[in-house]
Amino acid sequence: MSIEVKAIDKTFGTFKALDQVSLKVATGELVALLGPSGSGKTTLLRIIAGLETADCGEIFFHGDDARGKMTKDRNVGFVFQHYALFRHMTVFENIAFGLRVKPKALRPSEKQIKEKVHELLKLVQLEWVASRFPSQLSGGQRQRIALARALAIEPKILLLDEPFGSLDAQVRKELRQWLRRFHDHLHITTLFVTHDQEEALEVADKIVVMNKGKIEQVGSPEDVYHNPASVFVLNFLGNVNIFHARSSAEHKSGEKPAKMYVRPHQLIVSRSPLSENSVKVVLTFVNLAGSIVKIDAQSQKGEIFQVEMSQEEYRALKLTKSDEVFLTPKNIAFSEYEI
Amino acid sequence: MSTRTEPAWIRRALIGIALSFLALFILLPLTVVFMNALNKGIAIYLKSLSDPAALAAIRLTLLTALIAVPFNLIFGVAASWAIAKFDFRLKNLLITLIDLPLSVSPVISGLIFVLLFGAQGALGPWLRAHGIKVIFALPAIILTTIFVTFPMVARELIPVMKAFGNEEEEAAMTLGANGFQTFWRVTLPNIKWGLLYGVILCNARAMGEFGAVSVVSGHIRGQTNTLPLHIEILYNEYNFTAAFAAASLLAMLALVTLILKSIIEFKYRAELAAAGKFVIKMENHV
Amino acid sequence: MKVRYVLIGILIGMAMINLTGKAWPKDKEVTLLNVSYDPTRELYVDYNKVFTQYWKEKTGETVVINQSHAGSGKQARSVIEGLDADVVTLALAYDIDAIAEKSGLLPIQWQERLPDNSSPYTSIIVFLVRQGNPKNIKDWDDLARSGISVVTPNPKTSGGARWNYLAAWGYALRKWNNDELKAKDFVRAVFKNVPVLDSGARASTTTFVERGIGDVLISWENEAYLAVKDLGPERFEIVVPSVSILAEPPVAVVDRVADQHGTRKLAEEYLNFLYTPQGQEIVAKHYYRPRLKSVAQKYAAQFPPIKLFTVDEVFGGWQKAQKTHFADQGIFDQISPL
Repeated sequence: MSIEVKAIDKTFGTFKALDQVSLKVATGELVALLGPSGSGKTTLLRIIAGLETADCGEIFFHGDDARGKMTKDRNVGFVFQHYALFRHMTVFENIAFGLRVKPKALRPSEKQIKEKVHELLKLVQLEWVASRFPSQLSGGQRQRIALARALAIEPKILLLDEPFGSLDAQVRKELRQWLRRFHDHLHITTLFVTHDQEEALEVADKIVVMNKGKIEQVGSPEDVYHNPASVFVLNFLGNVNIFHARSSAEHKSGEKPAKMYVRPHQLIVSRSPLSENSVKVVLTFVNLAGSIVKIDAQSQKGEIFQVEMSQEEYRALKLTKSDEVFLTPKNIAFSEYEI
Repeated sequence: MSTRTEPAWIRRALIGIALSFLALFILLPLTVVFMNALNKGIAIYLKSLSDPAALAAIRLTLLTALIAVPFNLIFGVAASWAIAKFDFRLKNLLITLIDLPLSVSPVISGLIFVLLFGAQGALGPWLRAHGIKVIFALPAIILTTIFVTFPMVARELIPVMKAFGNEEEEAAMTLGANGFQTFWRVTLPNIKWGLLYGVILCNARAMGEFGAVSVVSGHIRGQTNTLPLHIEILYNEYNFTAAFAAASLLAMLALVTLILKSIIEFKYRAELAAAGKFVIKMENHV
Repeated sequence: MKVRYVLIGILIGMAMINLTGKAWPKDKEVTLLNVSYDPTRELYVDYNKVFTQYWKEKTGETVVINQSHAGSGKQARSVIEGLDADVVTLALAYDIDAIAEKSGLLPIQWQERLPDNSSPYTSIIVFLVRQGNPKNIKDWDDLARSGISVVTPNPKTSGGARWNYLAAWGYALRKWNNDELKAKDFVRAVFKNVPVLDSGARASTTTFVERGIGDVLISWENEAYLAVKDLGPERFEIVVPSVSILAEPPVAVVDRVADQHGTRKLAEEYLNFLYTPQGQEIVAKHYYRPRLKSVAQKYAAQFPPIKLFTVDEVFGGWQKAQKTHFADQGIFDQISPL
């Protein structure tokens, strides 16, 4: 089931949460809505689910106008950040809920419900917790149950609102991979909201970067990372260093580049300057713990730079803290030009 | 769970004060009531309770509670649902109206009804013309009781509903449940202790109300006297044993109410503690 | 969900208790509502028994008489507001006048319809003191003495209290040769000795008797006798002052209500029966002074002769008395220390 939203507006009081947002999600895609707090991503998700109503704009599910339908008729599976499991019901009853509330004509028999619930528990690898209560589960387990519950109604669309936000770093990583494999297996059109760019880059087929109620860029993870459409996207998807360009030699059309944005691993460290764009810095902090070495450096003007390199490079350069070195951009991720 | 930093004697003094307060204001009056009720023997005690006027009073009190409590239950749940889960323009007005009976003297509450439904009142002539008896008859007693017990259920439920937030209900909706199913399967189990608590308070007040009912009752023996009014009449007739016998019924009601309240508080707190990690903060996701 | 079943059980239980009660009147049963004032409770319990018997024998009809008792003024207001009294038997004519005026439920000349100013029984104001009369209270002067604590209800709310007040005033006028100012000072001094003003006659009696407050209770004669009988003849004494006021508590049919209920004849008979020898016996038994000479003679020992004056004689009628003394800004408001 594909999703299309056109020109959605939403205002809360005086705060404009969404400003003419349009988006298409193809059937079977796993799309991330990525952005900082206040960017409108959760509002958009809730509007698609029917939990909020847009002030204007259109929503289509597979070409059908969904706006007239109430939440309960939209057949979307929704997973909340804080799980929203029914605290008074067992895990079994939680998952069975969607089946039990179906209108009499469509309601499956008790036997069928039992089968379906166990099938789903198997899918999320938690068959053994069926008779437990949500309060007896860990965060990661609860989230998987929440997912199983959402899948019970066989939704054509799955919406996840910061699904891993409440979990520990390690659990988050595990579940991320799990979600990816899960999606590969089931191929349900999935839209999830996150403010964690690492998560979006790792999991999604397509990333929608949002800021202040507008969409900044839509693209694959590589697209969005290597070819950011704006400074915002660039900043949001990873660390970036700002170089103030000195020469006009950069651009063919003769414009002077005012600022250059360079990723930490695209900087060359040397003992002597390599070009007019090289900057003299002092290494203020070296972090050797991890697969890559992360270095903080500061120029005489007080500008802060972040450099990343492999452990071998670091050893080869024989660098230490307080060394004076030169930084030169190898590849420029984004340039801003003077008008 | 919190550390006690006061010295032992302060603790003991405070507990001592609390206990003596309890003894003075609760145990002592209760003892007096029961002693006076039974000082002429069990036979007289039972006789005074089976007197037709007493029975009529008991019946009227039960009937009033039977109507007022369910009405306020439904109204209370509806009002607190609206207040806890939605934002609407007249919300503050509704909250004020719900609190009104608590801030107004019961006698005034009764007077309001006399001014509305009395023969000289606003609706009086219309009611008279249609032969409808409200004031000084059963309807007024029930209406007045409903009015003074209005807030009991609502005030208990509003904080409970607010604490539980909206997410479970939203989840239910996404799973296909309609309004009623959501309320019955998801909301109700969550609020059941608060609801029970409110119902018990409501009932206690409904059965024990004196001032407001006294104003609208008409004091017709055997017809429009509730148990509290009946006690006053017996007292005025120097029939002290019978008065205390009837009072002992209300005292027993009070005791039962207290016990039920304590049980609920105990269970509710245990449940809250167990689900402690579950309390959801209402963040405004955007 | 066990709780649910418990709740439902309780509700069903309550419903059943209600259904077992006799809620609806049977056929061939007529009801009459007598709205009366505080002290007549016992009187009408007995009277109603006798009357219903009489009526059954006379007409074959079973009549159920419902009683309502409270302060006279409060009852009058209730009737005005719609309390459906077929008859009213209140403490003073003024209260029934108020009903006639404000609601038109009975004619303005209601008092002329029955003999003796529509008062089948009377009473006087006496003093109730503690056994042995330790403070030696003999007459009205003693009430104004310093150190004496006097109990009387509030004239603003209690009919009985107004009789008390007027009795004291009347006494003072007699003593000081109709000097209104001296009377005012005297009554002021008496009320200064009052520690608590209850809302009704019965409440004052309870204050004096049960709570043990005060040295003397100014009270209706019938109330005093009742208190002595019910609460201990060895605890109290009745002191009859040198002069007192003749209290005439009136009775009346409430025309409009009685006509609406179709009980006009019954109501009239109900009141007429009070004047019969049978009725007057009951009245006297409950310490009210009967009008019928034959019965009065029989109970002469209970009702010592005493110099009496009436409201009409001394005050020119209730309307005037109410206006002068008890209305807002009236004399009572001026002298009352409380």
